Amino acid sequence: MKKLLALGLSVLTVACLFTGCTGAGQVLDGDGMVNEGGTRVFRQGFDLDYPPYSYIDDNGEKGGFDVELAQALCEYKGWTYEAVPFNWDAKDAELNSGNCDCIWSGFTRNGREDDYAWSISYSDNTQMIMVPDGSEINTLEDLTGKIVGVQTATSAYELLNDEEGQKELCDTFKSLEIYDTYTIAFNDLQSGGIDAIAIDVTSGQYLMSTKAGYHFLDEALGSEQYAIGFRKDDTALRDEVNEALQALVDNGTYDEIGKKYPEIYEFLCLKPSEK
Amino acid sequence: MSFWTMLTTMADGMLKTILLFALTLIGSIPLGMVVVFLKKSKFKPIAWLTEAYIAVMRGTPLMLQLLVWYFGPYYLFGFSTRGFKFPALLIGFILNYAAYFAEIYRSGIDSMPIGQYEAAEILGYSKFATFMRIILPQVIKRVLPAVTNEVITLVKDTSLASALAYSEVFSLAKQISASQTSFLPFLIAGVFYFIANYVVAWIMKRIEKSMQYYN
Repeated sequence: MKKLLALGLSVLTVACLFTGCTGAGQVLDGDGMVNEGGTRVFRQGFDLDYPPYSYIDDNGEKGGFDVELAQALCEYKGWTYEAVPFNWDAKDAELNSGNCDCIWSGFTRNGREDDYAWSISYSDNTQMIMVPDGSEINTLEDLTGKIVGVQTATSAYELLNDEEGQKELCDTFKSLEIYDTYTIAFNDLQSGGIDAIAIDVTSGQYLMSTKAGYHFLDEALGSEQYAIGFRKDDTALRDEVNEALQALVDNGTYDEIGKKYPEIYEFLCLKPSEK
Repeated sequence: MSFWTMLTTMADGMLKTILLFALTLIGSIPLGMVVVFLKKSKFKPIAWLTEAYIAVMRGTPLMLQLLVWYFGPYYLFGFSTRGFKFPALLIGFILNYAAYFAEIYRSGIDSMPIGQYEAAEILGYSKFATFMRIILPQVIKRVLPAVTNEVITLVKDTSLASALAYSEVFSLAKQISASQTSFLPFLIAGVFYFIANYVVAWIMKRIEKSMQYYN
């Protein structure tokens, strides 16, 4: 019996090796896309911990503005949608190894212009400073000598480390604490471990919607645009997605999905094409 | 960012990793011994408590324990977490590793044949002297390979400290890798861990050799 089991397992392993483990019936074709019985598969790579763009929703499903928009886009194009949630730190490896077709997860294009083939920008974004109500911090200057928290590899983090961004301001902080997720940073803000959080306005508004008693400083840290990042040589797919995105804007789908996410609605920047 | 800047930036993280590693070892190796005695205590409630402590330490993720040590005082008593990060890390790591070390020591102590205790008693050794002069030296010798394993795991486990925004070498590697869209920082971190563990293994081997006084 044991021998039989071992034999079965090895046959399975070998079979898997031969099919390249892309899954049943899937083949890589020329431009990195996958075919499955004739229909194209579009694999959206995203971070599951980046609300409201991509996250686990109240029902435990993968959701968020970016996820819904990508699904709508696939429906429009007649593609098969496939979710590829990844660790944000490994996004480039996931993209370059072909595990996903794009990085689409509240992804900032500013400062990364040359690293990817970019779609049109579909959302604006501003980086803000979040403090507890009643904090003595009212302006960016007041942050001198304070402890500020930020999530690793986010645009707020990049901005604070960029010589042309807010590095100078960052140097006035007592320290910059770098967290794996904003959830932990927010916890630390509540428990008094840090004085302020540097965060994207949309993520910040999401956090503040979960707990009262926090506000943004009036003065913004910086601003930027979100877009979809493709492999640099994958401009064919990029162009197709751009076209489809504009079509979703024109037929109202983009606006419809945006309304479900009031905290980011005012930042959606695509306009219907003029006819 | 040049390779050199990358290396010097990460050097700071390496120092933090080594600091956390060294302090955890200094705390947990002796504490593990205390835990064994508590577990072997004749007073049952203490033995049960110790057993529960070991079960929790081994049965839950270390990262979760770190979060509990850091945020627990705030959620339970409303204490501010300001400046408590490094102490919380040390408490979390030391208590966790002490539990593992305790079990390793116990395996060594329990493997001693009962005849040695009987012989020592006949020769007039006190209980304390039996343990310190006859049992313990043999136990140390026996558990060393298992302890080496645990110490090497500790070197790599320090990366869990990133849960509390402690910038040790692996979280720095993640940060630099993300901002530079490069895998090089991970490679540097990998080489660092390898060298660190090679040194650990070498030192432990020397200690093992020095204990081979009978063969």
